[in-house]
Amino acid sequence: MASEDVDNIYRDFQRDLAAASDPSALEEIRRIHKGKTSPIKNLLKQIGGLPAEERPRFAAQLNELQSRIEAELQEAITAAEERALAQRLEAEWIDPTLPGRPLGHGARHPVTVVEERILSVLRQLGFELLDGPEVEDPYYNFDALNIPEHHPARDMQDTFWVTGHKLLRSHTTTVQARLLERRPQLPIRIASAGRVYRNEAVDATHLAMFHQLEGIWVDRGLTFAHLKGVLAFIAQSLYGDRPVRFKPKFYPYTEPSVGVDLGCGQCRGSGCDACHGAGWVTILGAGMIHPKVFTEFGFDPSEVSGIAFGLGTTRMAPQAVGVSKVKSLYEQDLRVHTALRREIR
Amino acid sequence: MKIAIQALRKYTELPDEPRAVRDLLDDVGIEVKRQEVGEYGPVFTVELLANRGDHYCYAGIAREVSGRTGESVEQPEVADLQVGPSPIPVEIQTPLCLVYTATLLKKTRTDELSQGDLLPLIAAGQKPIHPAVDATNLVNLEIGQPAHAFDADKIQGAIVVRTSRAGEHAWPLFEEKPREVPEGTLVIADEHKILAIAGVIGCEDSKATEASSRILLESATFDPVAVRKGARALGLHTDASARFERGSDPSLPLTGAGRVVLLLEQAGWQRVGTTGLFGAWRNPNRLIPLEIGYVASFLEHPLTEEEIRDRLSRYDFEVSPSYPDFLGDERWPIPGDLAEKSRERLRNTLLVRVPPHRLWDVEFAADIAEELAKSIGYNQTPQRLPPVDRGALPTPPEQAKAKVDNLLVASGFFEVFTDGFYGREVREKLGLTPNHLLWNHVETLNSIDRGYSLLKNNALAQAVETVATNLRVNHRLVRAYEWTRVFLPTPTAENGVCKELKLLWLVASGPLRPAHWSDDAPEVDTYFLTGLVEELAAELGLDLSVEKPNLQHPVSGLLHPYRQASITLGGKLVGILGEIHPKVCQNHKIKRERPVFLQLEASILAKAGGRTVHFVPPPETQPVRRDLAFTLPDRVTAGEIADALASAGPTWLTQVAIADRYDHEDHGQPVRTITYTLTFSRETALTTEELNQACEMLIASVGTRFGEKNVRLRA
Repeated sequence: MASEDVDNIYRDFQRDLAAASDPSALEEIRRIHKGKTSPIKNLLKQIGGLPAEERPRFAAQLNELQSRIEAELQEAITAAEERALAQRLEAEWIDPTLPGRPLGHGARHPVTVVEERILSVLRQLGFELLDGPEVEDPYYNFDALNIPEHHPARDMQDTFWVTGHKLLRSHTTTVQARLLERRPQLPIRIASAGRVYRNEAVDATHLAMFHQLEGIWVDRGLTFAHLKGVLAFIAQSLYGDRPVRFKPKFYPYTEPSVGVDLGCGQCRGSGCDACHGAGWVTILGAGMIHPKVFTEFGFDPSEVSGIAFGLGTTRMAPQAVGVSKVKSLYEQDLRVHTALRREIR
Repeated sequence: MKIAIQALRKYTELPDEPRAVRDLLDDVGIEVKRQEVGEYGPVFTVELLANRGDHYCYAGIAREVSGRTGESVEQPEVADLQVGPSPIPVEIQTPLCLVYTATLLKKTRTDELSQGDLLPLIAAGQKPIHPAVDATNLVNLEIGQPAHAFDADKIQGAIVVRTSRAGEHAWPLFEEKPREVPEGTLVIADEHKILAIAGVIGCEDSKATEASSRILLESATFDPVAVRKGARALGLHTDASARFERGSDPSLPLTGAGRVVLLLEQAGWQRVGTTGLFGAWRNPNRLIPLEIGYVASFLEHPLTEEEIRDRLSRYDFEVSPSYPDFLGDERWPIPGDLAEKSRERLRNTLLVRVPPHRLWDVEFAADIAEELAKSIGYNQTPQRLPPVDRGALPTPPEQAKAKVDNLLVASGFFEVFTDGFYGREVREKLGLTPNHLLWNHVETLNSIDRGYSLLKNNALAQAVETVATNLRVNHRLVRAYEWTRVFLPTPTAENGVCKELKLLWLVASGPLRPAHWSDDAPEVDTYFLTGLVEELAAELGLDLSVEKPNLQHPVSGLLHPYRQASITLGGKLVGILGEIHPKVCQNHKIKRERPVFLQLEASILAKAGGRTVHFVPPPETQPVRRDLAFTLPDRVTAGEIADALASAGPTWLTQVAIADRYDHEDHGQPVRTITYTLTFSRETALTTEELNQACEMLIASVGTRFGEKNVRLRA
């Protein structure tokens, strides 16, 4: 047993290491050069047969050899693993330009989105949502709202009549009429939203069924200034700092009646096709609840006053999604809805 | 109505710039819808308010503008007519004619009206015909008094204003032949024929033409409702009827006649005799008490008595002197209800006299407040929010609805809106027969489109149409939903007509996922909907259950008879799901797709979250799972066996899940083998013996309950 043996072992190890290129070959080298039957282990077994004075030196030589082999082997294994990983990763190349896997989300209807926005504004003022029937008694649709038979205002709302002398409600004000009839406690802050019907020929901008959202606020001491304050709050909460103007209108169930215009978002007031050259678009109809409506339901109009307003959510939705013809929103062509999914502003 | 700004300037002062004129008109409620430039400068198309008949003329618009600007209004020159015996006898047989004037003119030469005078006519898009007709049309535009020129030589005997009799005919202008006039229509007649439909239109057989040498000029006021009824009954809507229907000024007919006479005299016509004036109308001198402080506090804008007086006078309202100067003045009688109150109440009150042209729409102090607000300017009065004591949150059902929306949208569904009605052909397309639950509908009586004939009593018709619509444009991936209501004819319903059932419907067709280059997705099927119901149940905290079909559901017959299920909540039927019946698909030209449909009553939203939540933390010990497979013949559902296992198991049987289904034959009969994965879990460790005993007990229980139905444990 001599130093040459140690040198030979190391030389054999280096030869084998140089020939190995992958982790499995290196593991085999570990088995050959460090396993139970490896030359080093054999030499270690022979140490006991050496003279006592040689044992420490030779043991130290073998230990140093073992450490060196282990270090070089580990280094080679690490390098081989990294090479293998690099090769695998390269083999796993994907084409990042191919389309991703769609999650396939749908969307709420733009009218619903607009409606929810308005309701979220109204809820800040304490409004709650109330529903009512669509097949309605003419009393709640007309007479109770100061629209007697043969009044020209009935022409403003061409009506669908159905069997049993009932009609399809032409506005959601019917919900408010029914509420006032119940004489709830003041203050009343109620919004009603939903489908309404007009017996009209359908074209790109007119529908026989569409959506409205209305609200009433009834209390003691509400004034015209409050009406304007509420309307401006709604308009500017929805549309930011665009200018707002008020103009006289006529609605049979309010007096005075007010129209609310918003500065045209497209031309910024200079006049364009979208606003018919006016620089303004009408977004709201409103007014102070008519004394006759209060009297009809047993309120004393000298004691109680009220604010009423309505928004044409069907008219607002196309603006929100940049569509010029509202009819396309009421058709069930899902290509349109898919395209609009990300357009709701 | 189209108005020429150049013509309007004759009546009142206006800003120089058309844009400023437009803003001013908008500001007073004469809304400009369109602006064009014609031969005579800017022409505006204005939208007028439905209650303001007085706006339908230049003078009326000018008066409205003047109310805001304070500028004066110039009225057109008028001939001074002498009232006396009527040139042709006139008899008023109905109170529906308020005022009637008759003036006879004869032609002396054939001059035309000047182009300047005709400008309002030209701007309105009306072609001049001949002076007698043009003058009457012009005066309607100028001062809002409709008038009509009859050929006096075509009138036989006296003129009678009356209602029409049964079977009577008239020949309205511009029509090819006479037609029957509904009984009770207000008409102008002579002894043999109807000369005009009062307030609406004249007649061919009495009209003035260029050849007429004598005309009888009618200038009158009729009851608005009578005119409206006549116009609607005959389907005729004219400038005159629009004016009369909204209430015309009963004090104006004589002035109107005077204006027509002046224009015609300039064109070579000459008055013959005096003007006959008829009718029982007397100015009611309506007085409205106005508390001085009321308007100021209503508008939150300071107003002095003098300012009120000045502003209202611009609209021709007359305001009484201050208290107590009007007391005892016969021109200012104290209105009845106020007279009963103490004199002290009158101290801060003015009386406002309504001018005749506003009698139709001004009744209350609120109406006067509106006039004052317009005069000040709607944009000039203060604005402020009322005090708000609290906000509001969506109610629990609204929150539940939002959850459903979120789930459906995340599952690829698009919300759509369908009409509340459809056409009669829907019955055929759904294959309904008269004895079907869905045959009867609430019907619309006057729809202008056949597609609106029936109020929908089911949502499936429009769901399947949605699929068909999209397939027609090669859009296979269909996911649509709607919150809607159906109208179920129910004579015992509160409204005596129908019950309105609110519901959610959804339809799905095509692949389960959007198309992707990497793989093909399977097609949707009823289990897709079952999964949705399970998700909805979890989301809403409701014990919704998908059960065996319930053939009592009205929509059941429109679904595949063997691929449908009912949805229950607490044992109550609340919905249905399934594959749409192939015949219904075929009728909608849906050939290869197998769309699935779900309908759920919206009333479940009110119950959302009502389930008591029992949170069970994950066990400390690992659960143990065992599989049991049973062979089931047709008609025995997997759910029945699962329910049986769940109910028969020990308390530590925490879940019964269906893990696999295998279709095969057993003695020549098609059967299914369903594998159930049973999950056992307990705080203390389970022994193999315990598990074996539990499984044996479960197998025995299924055998006892379903053995006769040939349900077998598969080895």
